[in-house]
Amino acid sequence: MKVTIKNWHAIAQWRWDIGSNEVDDEGDVCGICRVPYEGCCPSCKMPGDDCPLIWGECSHVFHMHCLLKWLGTAASKQQCPMDRRPWVTAERKVDAGQTASTVR
Amino acid sequence: MATPALCNQVAEKWQRSFAKLNREKEGITGLLEFTQGWLMASDQLRPRDKAGLATKPQYDKAKLRECFEIIRACNLHAVFLDDYLDAIGRQLPAITNDIDFYMKMYEREPTAEHIANLISIAARWQRAWAPLPEMGASALSAFTCTFQTHLYSILPPSFTTGFRDLISATFDFTSFEAAPQWLLTRFPCPHGIPRPDFTLWTIMQELGLIERYETLILSVCYERIEGHVLEASEKVWDRQMLQEMRDWMSREVVPWLTMPYARDARSAEHATMLMKNVGSRLDYHVCKTLADLRTREIFDIIIDYPDSRPALDDMKECLQRVDQRSQLVQSLRKANRRRLLHPGADTKLILTQYVSIIRCLRIVDPQGVLLFKVADPIRRYLRDRPDTIRCIVASLVGDGESGDSLVDENEPIQPINQTQLEDYTDPNWEPEPMDAGPEFRANKPSDIISTLISIYDSQELFVKELQILLAQRLLAITDGNFDRERRNIEILKIRFGEAALQVCEVMLRDMTDSRRTDQHIQQQKASDLHPTIISRHFWPPLQANTFVMPGQFRKIQEDYASEFHVFKPDKKLLWMSHLGSINLQVELDDRTVEVEVPPLEAAFIELFSEQDEWSVPELVEKVGSIERPQAIKALVTWVELGVLKEDSPDHYRLLKTAEESGSAAKSSGKQPTAVVEELPPVVTVQQQQAEQMRVFWKFIEGMLTNLGQLPLDRIQQMLKFAPNYDRNIDQLAAFMEAARREGLVTVTNGVWKLQRD
Repeated sequence: MKVTIKNWHAIAQWRWDIGSNEVDDEGDVCGICRVPYEGCCPSCKMPGDDCPLIWGECSHVFHMHCLLKWLGTAASKQQCPMDRRPWVTAERKVDAGQTASTVR
Repeated sequence: MATPALCNQVAEKWQRSFAKLNREKEGITGLLEFTQGWLMASDQLRPRDKAGLATKPQYDKAKLRECFEIIRACNLHAVFLDDYLDAIGRQLPAITNDIDFYMKMYEREPTAEHIANLISIAARWQRAWAPLPEMGASALSAFTCTFQTHLYSILPPSFTTGFRDLISATFDFTSFEAAPQWLLTRFPCPHGIPRPDFTLWTIMQELGLIERYETLILSVCYERIEGHVLEASEKVWDRQMLQEMRDWMSREVVPWLTMPYARDARSAEHATMLMKNVGSRLDYHVCKTLADLRTREIFDIIIDYPDSRPALDDMKECLQRVDQRSQLVQSLRKANRRRLLHPGADTKLILTQYVSIIRCLRIVDPQGVLLFKVADPIRRYLRDRPDTIRCIVASLVGDGESGDSLVDENEPIQPINQTQLEDYTDPNWEPEPMDAGPEFRANKPSDIISTLISIYDSQELFVKELQILLAQRLLAITDGNFDRERRNIEILKIRFGEAALQVCEVMLRDMTDSRRTDQHIQQQKASDLHPTIISRHFWPPLQANTFVMPGQFRKIQEDYASEFHVFKPDKKLLWMSHLGSINLQVELDDRTVEVEVPPLEAAFIELFSEQDEWSVPELVEKVGSIERPQAIKALVTWVELGVLKEDSPDHYRLLKTAEESGSAAKSSGKQPTAVVEELPPVVTVQQQQAEQMRVFWKFIEGMLTNLGQLPLDRIQQMLKFAPNYDRNIDQLAAFMEAARREGLVTVTNGVWKLQRD
């Protein structure tokens, strides 16, 4: 007996790959605007590629728009708002996520 | 004992009377002349019975006039008249006999003919006894009055019924051909008269019957009108009846009406003037009868809309003439309560009828007062129905299955909820009608959809329901064609405003993005998998039920996910394995089955390709996180397709070769079979709310544990600190009441506390 798939219409959700493998239902929120990462920052209307995230060396992740706005203010002193270390954007390698893609 | 003075007085009186009667004639010749004249005049006038009339002597006209001259000259004509009228009273039995005779005839055989005869006889008596014209108009009127008083006094009560019959019969005497013989012989008409009953009416006028029985004559006329209107207009809604009825009036009733009211009109204008008063009364009656009829029929008229439009135009015209508005409201409200607002009626049906009511009453009463009064109970009822919103939303986006949408395609799309203030600078401004209640809001030009949506206080519920409906539809789309949904959303944006539908916009973009992503991935590495990738937070909560696809399915998912990750390095995919559908082909030893099935079914058949026999618990364990009933349902799908067989309870075996008996043979004929997924993929609003309330119950439980007992408003206040808490105190009270019924809490004097075991 053999099962052959002709066509499969499936539903999937996308998530940002924020480095952790654990899949929790609530999802993390941006430390600046308190909106989930998969949502969008207050100045955007469309989530996803139109409102991407930015990863810091310090392992903190924010909506890019939120962080840039923060860094634009004088009070920020170019520091990460979470740990006050100088903000350095992390380099992300494409293959780094290979293992992170989880299937449930 | 006569004193001389008295003697003198008598003598003087005698002398004076004698002088008056003798009129200074020689000797007593004057007195003799007077006596002769008196006798002659009274003999001429004396009312005689039948026999007397036959032998009545013929006097010379000139001589008679002379006699009256003498009586008048003697100043005794008043006495003479009294004498004459007394004589009539004494001679009355002569008429009584005739009248009794004809009334008996009528009672034996009630036809109008006998009454007509009676009238004819009475008129003959009146003519026979009438004073001469020489006696002057006052004598004639005194006679008529006396005679008719006597006549009416001897008419029996049954005469009224007979008279009514006669009047009713005259309606049909439209031409000489149609008139019965008795009418023509008894009441011959002069030439050039249009109607054969002309003489009859003249005689009735002479006898004063028309004046006396005017109300009766009119009521006969009313009856005729009612009868005709009901007969002609009942259940006839597809043409305007009012004008037709008016035409009928001028054709049939007005010629008849000229008989009692304008027999001796000199010209058409004169006749119109004479009948103006009674004519408008009859016209009113036509309107009233028609309005009554339509009021009784209003519910069915509305059902028939738009075919019944002419009936509504009639109604409008009638209502302007007749004040029936409150009756209409009563009737329609009653019909709605009895026929519409009951549990047996489908919500969609109620909405459709409500929309029809809106449209119909706008025709009848453009100001909307009637609508406002009728709509109130319907709106209240709809508010209590759980599926009203869903129905409205379904019709908003144009329900695919049922052709007739509530929304008229031609109606311009307007933003909803524009509260319109009265524009007093409008030259066409009109005040609210008299019967508008204090709560009446003039929401004149608002469209149907706004009216429906205003059943509820907020639009939020609609948007939420809309989101769920849209999600269901989008997830069901497999061919990537969602132009219709896009169009709907664009229309709804105009209604609800862009902001409210932002979420729907994201959903649509997810659809296009998924397609683009899929195209790209298919180019990199062709796959049979075509997922719709959604942005969570922007879709309504989906049924949380995720299991692991086995075997090749999992491999395909993983391959696709890694391709996706290459394409979008920042993102990863999370499969909602239980959603969607799979078109697959099962090759067995002797046959091939091609079906479209939900993922769980596909997962099971994949497992059966590894191993021929499985028990249900084993299967459940293999895929994980599914309920037993779902598993059974999936297995039954295959059993029905003749692929699996339940050998013993909970044990299923793959049928490598088709089994002859039972369902296998049956179903082999109808493959491939599409299996419809019954479970909607999206969580409904109610389920969401129940889920939320479960969270809040934890808070309530916590605060009651810590603080012992609390009144309701304290609970409400504290809950306000909880995230997303948006219930009002009434909703909370209902919830607590439900908890009490469950035996979780108790309440004493408005203070709640936990039920201790």
